[in-house]
Amino acid sequence: MIYKKALSFIIRDLVLATSYKFEFFLRFFFMLFSILTFYFVSQLVGGAGTEYLEPYGGDYFSFVLIGIAFSGYLMTALRSFSESIRGEQMMGTLEAMLVTPTDTSAIVTLSSLWSFIFMSFRVLMYLVIGILLGVDMSNANVPAALLILILTIICFGSIGIISASFIMVLKRGDPINMFFMSTSELFGGVLFPISVLPEWLRTISYLLPITYSLSGMRHALLQGYSLSALAPEITALMVFSVVLVPLGLLSFKYAVKRAKMDGSLVQY
Amino acid sequence: MRYTIETHDLTKRFAIQKGFADFLRHPFRKDEMSAVYDVNLNVKSGELFGILGPNGAGKTTLIKMLCTLILPSVGTAHVNGYDISKNGGNVRRSIGFVTSDERSFYWRLTGRHNLRFFAALHNYYSDDAEERIDELLSLVGMEDRGDDKFLSYSAGMKQRMAIARGLLNDPAVLFMDEPTRTLDPGAAQNVRTFVKEHITGDGGKTVFLSTHHLPEAEELCDRIAIINEGRIVVVGTLDELKAGLDKPDPGLGDVFMHYTGKEFERGTAPNHGYQGRKGMMGGGRHGGMRF
Repeated sequence: MIYKKALSFIIRDLVLATSYKFEFFLRFFFMLFSILTFYFVSQLVGGAGTEYLEPYGGDYFSFVLIGIAFSGYLMTALRSFSESIRGEQMMGTLEAMLVTPTDTSAIVTLSSLWSFIFMSFRVLMYLVIGILLGVDMSNANVPAALLILILTIICFGSIGIISASFIMVLKRGDPINMFFMSTSELFGGVLFPISVLPEWLRTISYLLPITYSLSGMRHALLQGYSLSALAPEITALMVFSVVLVPLGLLSFKYAVKRAKMDGSLVQY
Repeated sequence: MRYTIETHDLTKRFAIQKGFADFLRHPFRKDEMSAVYDVNLNVKSGELFGILGPNGAGKTTLIKMLCTLILPSVGTAHVNGYDISKNGGNVRRSIGFVTSDERSFYWRLTGRHNLRFFAALHNYYSDDAEERIDELLSLVGMEDRGDDKFLSYSAGMKQRMAIARGLLNDPAVLFMDEPTRTLDPGAAQNVRTFVKEHITGDGGKTVFLSTHHLPEAEELCDRIAIINEGRIVVVGTLDELKAGLDKPDPGLGDVFMHYTGKEFERGTAPNHGYQGRKGMMGGGRHGGMRF
Protein backbone atom coordinates (compact mmCIF):
# COMPACT_ATOMS: atom_id res chain seq x y z
CA MET A 1 0.00 0.00 0.00
CA ILE A 2 2.94 2.31 0.63
CA TYR A 3 3.60 2.59 -3.11
CA LYS A 4 0.03 3.79 -3.68
CA LYS A 5 0.49 6.36 -0.94
CA ALA A 6 3.82 7.37 -2.48
CA LEU A 7 2.10 7.74 -5.83
CA SER A 8 -0.48 10.08 -4.28
CA PHE A 9 2.30 12.36 -3.02
CA ILE A 10 4.07 12.30 -6.40
CA ILE A 11 0.85 13.12 -8.27
CA ARG A 12 0.07 15.93 -5.83
CA ASP A 13 3.51 17.47 -6.25
CA LEU A 14 3.57 16.98 -10.01
CA VAL A 15 0.19 18.71 -10.40
CA LEU A 16 1.31 21.53 -8.07
CA ALA A 17 4.66 21.93 -9.89
CA THR A 18 3.11 21.97 -13.35
CA SER A 19 0.46 24.45 -12.21
CA TYR A 20 3.34 26.97 -12.14
CA LYS A 21 4.16 26.27 -15.80
CA PHE A 22 6.63 29.08 -16.42
CA GLU A 23 8.75 28.25 -13.37
CA PHE A 24 8.65 24.55 -14.28
CA PHE A 25 10.20 25.16 -17.71
CA LEU A 26 12.64 27.81 -16.46
CA ARG A 27 14.15 25.32 -14.01
CA PHE A 28 14.99 22.99 -16.91
CA PHE A 29 16.30 25.79 -19.08
CA PHE A 30 18.70 27.28 -16.53
CA MET A 31 20.20 23.96 -15.47
CA LEU A 32 22.04 24.04 -18.81
CA PHE A 33 23.96 27.13 -17.78
CA SER A 34 26.00 25.56 -14.98
CA ILE A 35 27.04 22.67 -17.24
CA LEU A 36 28.16 25.04 -19.98
CA THR A 37 30.09 27.16 -17.46
CA PHE A 38 32.15 24.17 -16.36
CA TYR A 39 32.53 22.99 -19.95
CA PHE A 40 34.26 26.28 -20.87
CA VAL A 41 36.30 26.27 -17.64
CA SER A 42 37.57 22.82 -18.61
CA GLN A 43 38.47 24.13 -22.08
CA LEU A 44 40.55 26.83 -20.38
CA VAL A 45 42.18 24.46 -17.87
CA GLY A 46 42.98 21.93 -20.60
CA GLY A 47 45.52 19.39 -19.42
CA ALA A 48 46.45 21.20 -16.20
CA GLY A 49 46.05 19.11 -13.06
CA THR A 50 46.18 15.87 -15.00
CA GLU A 51 48.12 14.13 -12.25
CA TYR A 52 45.27 14.79 -9.81
CA LEU A 53 42.61 13.77 -12.32
CA GLU A 54 44.39 10.62 -13.52
CA PRO A 55 42.52 8.27 -11.11
CA TYR A 56 39.25 9.50 -12.66
CA GLY A 57 40.25 9.31 -16.34
CA GLY A 58 42.21 12.58 -16.61
CA ASP A 59 39.49 14.84 -18.03
CA TYR A 60 38.32 17.79 -15.90
CA PHE A 61 34.92 18.26 -17.57
CA SER A 62 33.98 14.60 -16.99
CA PHE A 63 35.15 14.93 -13.38
CA VAL A 64 33.19 18.08 -12.61
CA LEU A 65 30.07 16.92 -14.49
CA ILE A 66 29.69 13.89 -12.20
CA GLY A 67 30.53 16.13 -9.21
CA ILE A 68 27.84 18.75 -9.82
CA ALA A 69 25.27 16.20 -11.00
CA PHE A 70 25.43 13.83 -8.04
CA SER A 71 26.21 16.37 -5.31
CA GLY A 72 22.73 17.63 -6.18
CA TYR A 73 21.33 14.61 -4.33
CA LEU A 74 22.96 15.82 -1.13
CA MET A 75 21.58 19.31 -1.61
CA THR A 76 18.15 17.84 -2.37
CA ALA A 77 18.27 15.66 0.75
CA LEU A 78 19.39 18.55 2.94
CA ARG A 79 16.66 20.80 1.63
CA SER A 80 13.70 18.65 0.69
CA PHE A 81 12.83 17.06 4.05
CA SER A 82 13.06 20.27 6.03
CA GLU A 83 11.50 22.33 3.24
CA SER A 84 8.61 19.91 2.91
CA ILE A 85 7.82 20.39 6.61
CA ARG A 86 8.24 24.13 6.39
CA GLY A 87 6.26 24.37 3.15
CA GLU A 88 3.32 22.44 4.59
CA GLN A 89 3.49 24.51 7.79
CA MET A 90 3.40 27.75 5.82
CA MET A 91 0.66 26.59 3.45
CA GLY A 92 -1.37 25.45 6.46
CA THR A 93 -1.80 21.86 5.26
CA LEU A 94 0.46 20.10 7.77
CA GLU A 95 -2.13 19.83 10.54
CA ALA A 96 -4.69 18.25 8.22
CA MET A 97 -2.08 15.68 7.19
CA LEU A 98 -0.94 14.91 10.72
CA VAL A 99 -4.44 14.15 11.93
CA THR A 100 -4.62 11.15 9.57
CA PRO A 101 -3.37 7.65 10.44
CA THR A 102 -0.30 8.12 8.21
CA ASP A 103 2.81 8.33 10.35
CA THR A 104 4.58 11.70 10.57
CA SER A 105 7.89 10.25 9.36
CA ALA A 106 6.11 8.70 6.36
CA ILE A 107 4.51 12.07 5.55
CA VAL A 108 7.87 13.84 5.62
CA THR A 109 9.65 11.13 3.64
CA LEU A 110 6.94 10.85 0.98
CA SER A 111 6.70 14.64 0.70
CA SER A 112 10.34 14.63 -0.44
CA LEU A 113 9.90 12.00 -3.15
CA TRP A 114 9.08 14.51 -5.86
CA SER A 115 12.29 16.45 -5.16
CA PHE A 116 14.35 13.27 -5.59
CA ILE A 117 12.51 12.35 -8.78
CA PHE A 118 13.07 15.84 -10.17
CA MET A 119 16.74 15.63 -9.13
CA SER A 120 17.12 12.26 -10.86
CA PHE A 121 15.67 13.71 -14.05
CA ARG A 122 18.08 16.60 -13.72
CA VAL A 123 21.07 14.24 -13.29
CA LEU A 124 19.95 12.32 -16.36
CA MET A 125 19.81 15.57 -18.33
CA TYR A 126 23.30 16.50 -17.07
CA LEU A 127 24.68 13.15 -18.20
CA VAL A 128 23.01 13.32 -21.62
CA ILE A 129 24.30 16.86 -22.20
CA GLY A 130 27.75 15.77 -20.95
CA ILE A 131 27.82 12.92 -23.44
CA LEU A 132 26.79 15.32 -26.22
CA LEU A 133 29.71 17.56 -25.18
CA GLY A 134 32.18 14.70 -25.43
CA VAL A 135 32.20 12.93 -22.03
CA ASP A 136 33.04 9.28 -22.61
CA MET A 137 30.82 6.88 -20.66
CA SER A 138 31.08 3.97 -23.07
CA ASN A 139 32.68 1.77 -20.36
CA ALA A 140 30.17 2.71 -17.65
CA ASN A 141 29.23 -0.02 -15.17
CA VAL A 142 25.59 0.96 -14.82
CA PRO A 143 24.53 -1.65 -12.18
CA ALA A 144 27.44 -0.61 -9.96
CA ALA A 145 26.55 3.07 -10.46
CA LEU A 146 22.93 2.30 -9.50
CA LEU A 147 24.08 0.52 -6.33
CA ILE A 148 26.19 3.52 -5.38
CA LEU A 149 23.26 5.80 -6.20
CA ILE A 150 20.94 3.84 -3.89
CA LEU A 151 23.47 3.92 -1.05
CA THR A 152 24.05 7.62 -1.72
CA ILE A 153 20.34 8.40 -1.47
CA ILE A 154 20.04 6.35 1.75
CA CYS A 155 23.00 8.20 3.33
CA PHE A 156 22.02 11.66 2.15
CA GLY A 157 18.34 11.03 2.92
CA SER A 158 19.22 10.09 6.50
CA ILE A 159 21.27 13.28 6.86
CA GLY A 160 18.27 15.18 5.47
CA ILE A 161 15.96 13.58 8.05
CA ILE A 162 18.34 14.53 10.89
CA SER A 163 18.35 18.06 9.47
CA ALA A 164 14.52 18.03 9.36
CA SER A 165 14.47 16.97 13.02
CA PHE A 166 16.31 20.14 13.95
CA ILE A 167 13.88 22.21 11.85
CA MET A 168 10.94 20.57 13.58
CA VAL A 169 12.23 21.64 17.00
CA LEU A 170 14.23 24.81 16.29
CA LYS A 171 12.20 26.01 13.24
CA ARG A 172 15.31 27.80 11.90
CA GLY A 173 19.07 27.53 12.30
CA ASP A 174 19.66 23.86 11.58
CA PRO A 175 23.36 23.04 12.21
CA ILE A 176 23.36 19.82 10.16
CA ASN A 177 22.26 21.64 7.02
CA MET A 178 24.79 24.41 7.59
CA PHE A 179 27.63 21.95 8.23
CA PHE A 180 27.06 19.77 5.17
CA MET A 181 26.19 22.67 2.87
CA SER A 182 29.39 24.49 3.75
CA THR A 183 31.79 21.54 3.89
CA SER A 184 30.66 19.26 1.08
CA GLU A 185 31.70 21.42 -1.85
CA LEU A 186 35.11 22.17 -0.34
CA PHE A 187 36.00 18.80 1.13
CA GLY A 188 33.75 16.36 -0.75
CA GLY A 189 35.50 16.39 -4.12
CA VAL A 190 32.70 18.09 -6.02
CA LEU A 191 34.73 20.54 -8.14
CA PHE A 192 38.27 19.18 -7.64
CA PRO A 193 39.81 15.91 -6.46
CA ILE A 194 40.45 15.75 -2.72
CA SER A 195 44.09 14.87 -3.50
CA VAL A 196 44.56 18.61 -4.18
CA LEU A 197 43.91 19.32 -0.48
CA PRO A 198 46.75 19.25 2.07
CA GLU A 199 46.85 15.90 3.80
CA TRP A 200 45.63 17.20 7.17
CA LEU A 201 42.54 18.73 5.52
CA ARG A 202 41.85 15.52 3.63
CA THR A 203 40.93 13.91 6.97
CA ILE A 204 37.71 15.94 6.90
CA SER A 205 36.97 14.61 3.41
CA TYR A 206 37.17 11.02 4.67
CA LEU A 207 34.47 11.77 7.24
CA LEU A 208 31.95 12.88 4.62
CA PRO A 209 29.79 10.34 2.74
CA ILE A 210 29.78 12.56 -0.35
CA THR A 211 33.50 11.86 -0.84
CA TYR A 212 32.87 8.12 -1.28
CA SER A 213 29.69 8.67 -3.24
CA LEU A 214 31.32 10.90 -5.88
CA SER A 215 34.50 8.86 -6.06
CA GLY A 216 32.52 5.63 -6.55
CA MET A 217 30.20 7.22 -9.09
CA ARG A 218 33.11 8.56 -11.16
CA HIS A 219 34.91 5.23 -11.14
CA ALA A 220 31.70 3.39 -12.10
CA LEU A 221 30.53 5.75 -14.83
CA LEU A 222 33.79 7.00 -16.35
CA GLN A 223 36.06 4.02 -15.92
CA GLY A 224 33.64 1.11 -15.57
CA TYR A 225 35.13 -0.22 -12.31
CA SER A 226 33.79 -3.59 -11.20
CA LEU A 227 31.95 -4.08 -7.91
CA SER A 228 35.06 -5.55 -6.32
CA ALA A 229 37.14 -2.56 -7.42
CA LEU A 230 34.49 -0.30 -5.92
CA ALA A 231 34.47 -2.19 -2.61
CA PRO A 232 36.14 0.61 -0.57
CA GLU A 233 33.51 3.19 -1.60
CA ILE A 234 30.60 0.73 -1.29
CA THR A 235 31.77 -0.43 2.16
CA ALA A 236 32.19 3.15 3.38
CA LEU A 237 28.70 4.10 2.16
CA MET A 238 27.23 1.00 3.81
CA VAL A 239 28.87 1.87 7.12
CA PHE A 240 27.51 5.43 6.86
CA SER A 241 24.04 3.99 6.09
CA VAL A 242 24.12 1.64 9.09
CA VAL A 243 24.94 4.57 11.37
CA LEU A 244 22.84 7.31 9.75
CA VAL A 245 19.53 5.49 9.09
CA PRO A 246 18.75 4.61 12.74
CA LEU A 247 20.14 7.97 13.85
CA GLY A 248 17.81 9.76 11.41
CA LEU A 249 14.75 7.75 12.46
CA LEU A 250 15.44 8.15 16.18
CA SER A 251 16.16 11.86 15.94
CA PHE A 252 12.97 12.44 13.93
CA LYS A 253 10.87 10.41 16.36
CA TYR A 254 12.29 12.45 19.23
CA ALA A 255 11.72 15.72 17.34
CA VAL A 256 8.05 14.90 16.63
CA LYS A 257 7.48 13.99 20.29
CA ARG A 258 9.21 17.17 21.42
CA ALA A 259 7.21 19.32 19.00
CA LYS A 260 3.97 17.67 20.16
CA MET A 261 4.93 18.37 23.77
CA ASP A 262 5.77 21.98 22.93
CA GLY A 263 2.61 22.29 20.83
CA SER A 264 4.79 23.65 18.04
CA LEU A 265 4.20 20.98 15.39
CA VAL A 266 2.59 23.41 12.95
CA GLN A 267 4.51 26.53 13.96
CA TYR A 268 7.25 27.92 11.75
CA MET B 1 -20.29 2.74 30.98
CA ARG B 2 -17.54 3.32 28.45
CA TYR B 3 -17.67 6.78 26.90
CA THR B 4 -16.56 7.67 23.38
CA ILE B 5 -14.40 10.45 24.75
CA GLU B 6 -13.09 10.42 28.32
CA THR B 7 -10.59 12.79 29.85
CA HIS B 8 -9.05 12.62 33.31
CA ASP B 9 -7.35 15.69 34.75
CA LEU B 10 -6.18 16.58 31.26
CA THR B 11 -3.74 19.46 31.49
CA LYS B 12 -1.55 21.25 28.97
CA ARG B 13 1.16 23.64 30.00
CA PHE B 14 3.19 25.57 27.45
CA ALA B 15 6.62 27.07 28.04
CA ILE B 16 6.59 30.85 27.91
CA GLN B 17 9.04 32.20 25.34
CA LYS B 18 11.74 34.20 27.07
CA GLY B 19 13.21 37.47 25.94
CA PHE B 20 16.94 37.52 25.20
CA ALA B 21 17.82 39.42 28.38
CA ASP B 22 15.69 37.11 30.50
CA PHE B 23 17.35 34.10 28.89
CA LEU B 24 20.79 35.44 29.80
CA ARG B 25 19.73 36.22 33.37
CA HIS B 26 17.99 32.88 34.04
CA PRO B 27 19.08 30.41 31.36
CA PHE B 28 17.72 27.35 33.17
CA ARG B 29 14.48 28.77 34.54
CA LYS B 30 11.44 27.38 32.78
CA ASP B 31 8.33 29.55 32.94
CA GLU B 32 5.07 27.91 31.97
CA MET B 33 1.45 28.83 31.51
CA SER B 34 -1.50 26.45 31.61
CA ALA B 35 -3.62 26.50 28.46
CA VAL B 36 -5.89 23.68 29.63
CA TYR B 37 -6.18 22.71 33.26
CA ASP B 38 -7.60 19.57 34.93
CA VAL B 39 -10.22 18.83 32.31
CA ASN B 40 -12.53 15.94 33.15
CA LEU B 41 -15.14 15.19 30.50
CA ASN B 42 -17.19 12.22 29.36
CA VAL B 43 -18.86 12.27 25.95
CA LYS B 44 -21.39 9.61 25.04
CA SER B 45 -21.64 7.88 21.69
CA GLY B 46 -23.83 9.78 19.20
CA GLU B 47 -23.76 12.92 21.31
CA LEU B 48 -23.23 16.38 19.89
CA PHE B 49 -21.02 17.82 22.55
CA GLY B 50 -20.12 21.48 22.53
CA ILE B 51 -17.18 23.21 24.13
CA LEU B 52 -18.00 26.87 24.52
CA GLY B 53 -15.62 29.60 25.50
CA PRO B 54 -14.20 32.93 24.46
CA ASN B 55 -11.10 33.24 22.28
CA GLY B 56 -8.02 31.94 24.07
CA ALA B 57 -10.03 29.88 26.55
CA GLY B 58 -8.27 26.63 25.58
CA LYS B 59 -10.83 25.10 23.17
CA THR B 60 -8.41 24.53 20.30
CA THR B 61 -5.66 23.19 22.59
CA LEU B 62 -8.15 20.71 24.05
CA ILE B 63 -9.29 19.56 20.59
CA LYS B 64 -5.70 19.28 19.37
CA MET B 65 -4.81 17.11 22.35
CA LEU B 66 -7.77 14.83 21.64
CA CYS B 67 -6.71 14.64 17.97
CA THR B 68 -3.14 13.74 19.08
CA LEU B 69 -1.58 16.87 17.54
CA ILE B 70 -0.43 18.01 20.99
CA LEU B 71 0.64 15.74 23.85
CA PRO B 72 -0.81 16.49 27.30
CA SER B 73 1.50 17.60 30.11
CA VAL B 74 -0.53 15.79 32.76
CA GLY B 75 -3.61 13.58 32.76
CA THR B 76 -5.02 11.08 30.31
CA ALA B 77 -7.69 10.92 27.65
CA HIS B 78 -9.26 8.14 25.65
CA VAL B 79 -11.00 8.55 22.31
CA ASN B 80 -12.94 5.51 21.08
CA GLY B 81 -11.16 3.54 23.80
CA TYR B 82 -7.66 4.51 22.64
CA ASP B 83 -5.21 6.42 24.81
CA ILE B 84 -4.28 9.66 23.04
CA SER B 85 -0.68 9.50 24.30
CA LYS B 86 -0.01 5.81 23.69
CA ASN B 87 -2.24 4.87 20.72
CA GLY B 88 -2.12 7.97 18.56
CA GLY B 89 -2.37 6.01 15.30
CA ASN B 90 -5.54 4.20 16.40
CA VAL B 91 -7.08 7.45 17.64
CA ARG B 92 -6.44 9.13 14.28
CA ARG B 93 -7.81 6.10 12.42
CA SER B 94 -11.15 6.53 14.20
CA ILE B 95 -11.62 10.30 14.08
CA GLY B 96 -12.22 13.08 11.61
CA PHE B 97 -11.12 16.68 12.07
CA VAL B 98 -12.81 19.73 10.58
CA THR B 99 -11.03 23.02 10.90
CA SER B 100 -12.17 26.46 9.80
CA ASP B 101 -8.72 27.16 8.31
CA GLU B 102 -9.19 27.50 4.55
CA ARG B 103 -5.44 27.19 4.09
CA SER B 104 -5.50 23.55 5.11
CA PHE B 105 -6.14 22.60 1.47
CA TYR B 106 -3.97 22.80 -1.66
CA TRP B 107 -5.53 25.75 -3.44
CA ARG B 108 -4.06 24.96 -6.86
CA LEU B 109 -5.49 21.45 -6.87
CA THR B 110 -9.12 20.68 -7.56
CA GLY B 111 -11.44 19.79 -4.73
CA ARG B 112 -11.48 16.19 -5.93
CA HIS B 113 -7.66 16.07 -6.14
CA ASN B 114 -7.50 17.34 -2.58
CA LEU B 115 -9.92 14.72 -1.32
CA ARG B 116 -8.09 12.00 -3.27
CA PHE B 117 -4.81 12.98 -1.62
CA PHE B 118 -6.24 13.07 1.90
CA ALA B 119 -8.09 9.78 1.21
CA ALA B 120 -4.70 8.19 0.49
CA LEU B 121 -3.46 9.43 3.86
CA HIS B 122 -6.45 7.60 5.34
CA ASN B 123 -5.41 4.48 3.36
CA TYR B 124 -8.22 4.74 0.81
CA TYR B 125 -7.03 4.27 -2.76
CA SER B 126 -8.30 3.89 -6.33
CA ASP B 127 -11.91 2.76 -6.72
CA ASP B 128 -12.64 2.72 -2.97
CA ALA B 129 -11.44 6.30 -2.70
CA GLU B 130 -13.32 7.50 -5.80
CA GLU B 131 -16.55 5.92 -4.60
CA ARG B 132 -16.19 7.56 -1.19
CA ILE B 133 -15.27 10.92 -2.71
CA ASP B 134 -18.31 10.87 -5.05
CA GLU B 135 -20.51 10.00 -2.10
CA LEU B 136 -19.12 12.82 0.03
CA LEU B 137 -19.17 15.43 -2.74
CA SER B 138 -22.80 14.58 -3.23
CA LEU B 139 -23.49 14.68 0.50
CA VAL B 140 -22.06 18.17 0.86
CA GLY B 141 -23.66 19.35 -2.38
CA MET B 142 -20.37 19.81 -4.27
CA GLU B 143 -20.78 17.16 -6.95
CA ASP B 144 -20.88 19.78 -9.71
CA ARG B 145 -17.82 21.70 -8.48
CA GLY B 146 -15.52 18.86 -7.41
CA ASP B 147 -13.33 19.19 -10.50
CA ASP B 148 -12.82 22.94 -10.11
CA LYS B 149 -9.70 24.30 -8.49
CA PHE B 150 -9.99 24.85 -4.74
CA LEU B 151 -8.96 28.49 -5.15
CA SER B 152 -12.15 29.14 -7.12
CA TYR B 153 -14.42 28.13 -4.24
CA SER B 154 -16.32 30.51 -1.99
CA ALA B 155 -15.71 30.39 1.78
CA GLY B 156 -18.84 28.29 2.19
CA MET B 157 -17.72 25.78 -0.44
CA LYS B 158 -14.29 25.53 1.19
CA GLN B 159 -15.96 24.69 4.48
CA ARG B 160 -18.10 22.07 2.78
CA MET B 161 -14.92 20.50 1.43
CA ALA B 162 -13.45 20.59 4.94
CA ILE B 163 -16.46 18.67 6.21
CA ALA B 164 -16.19 16.19 3.33
CA ARG B 165 -12.51 15.67 4.17
CA GLY B 166 -13.34 15.14 7.84
CA LEU B 167 -15.75 12.37 6.86
CA LEU B 168 -13.41 10.59 4.39
CA ASN B 169 -12.62 7.70 6.75
CA ASP B 170 -16.23 7.46 8.00
CA PRO B 171 -15.06 8.32 11.52
CA ALA B 172 -16.93 7.42 14.68
CA VAL B 173 -16.03 10.81 16.15
CA LEU B 174 -15.84 14.12 14.33
CA PHE B 175 -13.95 16.99 15.92
CA MET B 176 -15.04 20.37 14.61
CA ASP B 177 -12.99 23.40 15.60
CA GLU B 178 -15.18 26.49 15.14
CA PRO B 179 -16.54 25.23 11.81
CA THR B 180 -18.61 28.35 11.08
CA ARG B 181 -16.07 30.98 12.09
CA THR B 182 -15.32 32.24 8.57
CA LEU B 183 -18.78 31.85 7.06
CA ASP B 184 -21.50 34.32 6.19
CA PRO B 185 -24.85 34.01 8.02
CA GLY B 186 -26.58 31.77 5.49
CA ALA B 187 -23.61 29.48 5.04
CA ALA B 188 -23.06 29.22 8.80
CA GLN B 189 -26.70 28.33 9.32
CA ASN B 190 -26.51 25.60 6.71
CA VAL B 191 -23.43 24.07 8.29
CA ARG B 192 -25.33 23.90 11.57
CA THR B 193 -28.30 22.28 9.88
CA PHE B 194 -26.06 19.80 8.10
CA VAL B 195 -24.23 18.83 11.28
CA LYS B 196 -27.47 18.31 13.17
CA GLU B 197 -29.30 16.42 10.42
CA HIS B 198 -26.63 14.47 8.61
CA ILE B 199 -23.69 13.97 10.89
CA THR B 200 -25.25 13.26 14.25
CA GLY B 201 -28.77 12.58 12.93
CA ASP B 202 -28.53 10.17 9.97
CA GLY B 203 -24.81 9.58 10.44
CA GLY B 204 -25.07 8.68 14.13
CA LYS B 205 -21.62 10.10 14.76
CA THR B 206 -20.30 11.62 17.93
CA VAL B 207 -19.43 15.28 17.36
CA PHE B 208 -17.12 17.29 19.57
CA LEU B 209 -17.56 20.88 18.48
CA SER B 210 -15.85 24.00 19.72
CA THR B 211 -17.45 27.38 19.34
CA HIS B 212 -17.34 30.84 20.81
CA HIS B 213 -20.75 31.59 19.38
CA LEU B 214 -23.46 31.30 22.04
CA PRO B 215 -26.54 30.76 19.81
CA GLU B 216 -24.66 28.11 17.85
CA ALA B 217 -24.00 26.14 21.02
CA GLU B 218 -27.62 26.60 22.11
CA GLU B 219 -28.98 25.41 18.77
CA LEU B 220 -26.72 22.47 18.15
CA CYS B 221 -25.42 20.86 21.28
CA ASP B 222 -26.95 18.07 23.33
CA ARG B 223 -24.61 19.03 26.15
CA ILE B 224 -22.31 21.98 26.58
CA ALA B 225 -19.09 22.43 28.55
CA ILE B 226 -18.16 26.01 29.28
CA ILE B 227 -14.43 26.60 29.35
CA ASN B 228 -12.75 29.70 30.70
CA GLU B 229 -9.04 30.32 31.10
CA GLY B 230 -8.32 26.65 30.47
CA ARG B 231 -10.75 25.28 33.08
CA ILE B 232 -14.11 23.62 32.51
CA VAL B 233 -16.45 25.59 34.75
CA VAL B 234 -19.69 23.69 34.12
CA VAL B 235 -21.06 20.87 31.94
CA GLY B 236 -24.66 19.99 31.20
CA THR B 237 -27.64 20.19 28.89
CA LEU B 238 -28.91 23.65 28.14
CA ASP B 239 -31.76 23.19 30.62
CA GLU B 240 -29.38 21.94 33.32
CA LEU B 241 -27.09 24.91 32.79
CA LYS B 242 -29.96 27.35 33.03
CA ALA B 243 -31.61 25.65 36.00
CA GLY B 244 -29.61 27.31 38.72
CA LEU B 245 -30.06 30.86 37.45
CA ASP B 246 -32.37 33.41 39.08
CA LYS B 247 -33.41 35.06 35.87
CA PRO B 248 -36.40 34.62 33.57
CA ASP B 249 -35.49 32.90 30.28
CA PRO B 250 -31.71 33.08 30.68
CA GLY B 251 -29.34 32.53 27.76
CA LEU B 252 -25.91 30.93 27.62
CA GLY B 253 -24.37 34.36 28.10
CA ASP B 254 -26.09 34.53 31.47
CA VAL B 255 -24.88 31.03 32.28
CA PHE B 256 -21.33 32.08 31.41
CA MET B 257 -21.66 35.18 33.59
CA HIS B 258 -23.09 33.11 36.46
CA TYR B 259 -20.24 30.58 36.49
CA THR B 260 -17.28 32.79 35.60
CA GLY B 261 -18.33 36.20 36.88
CA LYS B 262 -17.43 37.62 33.48
CA GLU B 263 -19.39 38.78 30.51
CA PHE B 264 -18.99 36.60 27.44
CA GLU B 265 -17.12 38.53 24.75
CA ARG B 266 -19.19 40.32 22.17
CA GLY B 267 -18.64 41.23 18.58
CA THR B 268 -18.53 37.81 16.98
CA ALA B 269 -22.12 37.62 15.87
CA PRO B 270 -22.31 39.43 12.51
CA ASN B 271 -20.80 36.73 10.34
CA HIS B 272 -22.65 33.99 12.18
CA GLY B 273 -26.04 35.53 11.65
CA TYR B 274 -28.05 33.25 13.79
CA GLN B 275 -31.46 32.73 12.28
CA GLY B 276 -32.99 30.48 14.91
CA ARG B 277 -34.47 27.10 14.31
CA LYS B 278 -37.30 28.42 12.16
CA GLY B 279 -34.77 30.11 9.92
CA MET B 280 -32.94 26.91 8.99
CA MET B 281 -32.62 26.29 5.31
CA GLY B 282 -33.35 22.88 3.88
CA GLY B 283 -30.71 20.51 2.58
CA GLY B 284 -29.57 20.46 -1.03
CA ARG B 285 -29.76 17.71 -3.59
CA HIS B 286 -29.33 14.20 -2.14
CA GLY B 287 -30.13 15.64 1.27
CA GLY B 288 -26.81 17.52 1.24
CA MET B 289 -26.19 21.12 2.14
CA ARG B 290 -26.33 24.28 0.08
CA PHE B 291 -24.76 27.63 0.82
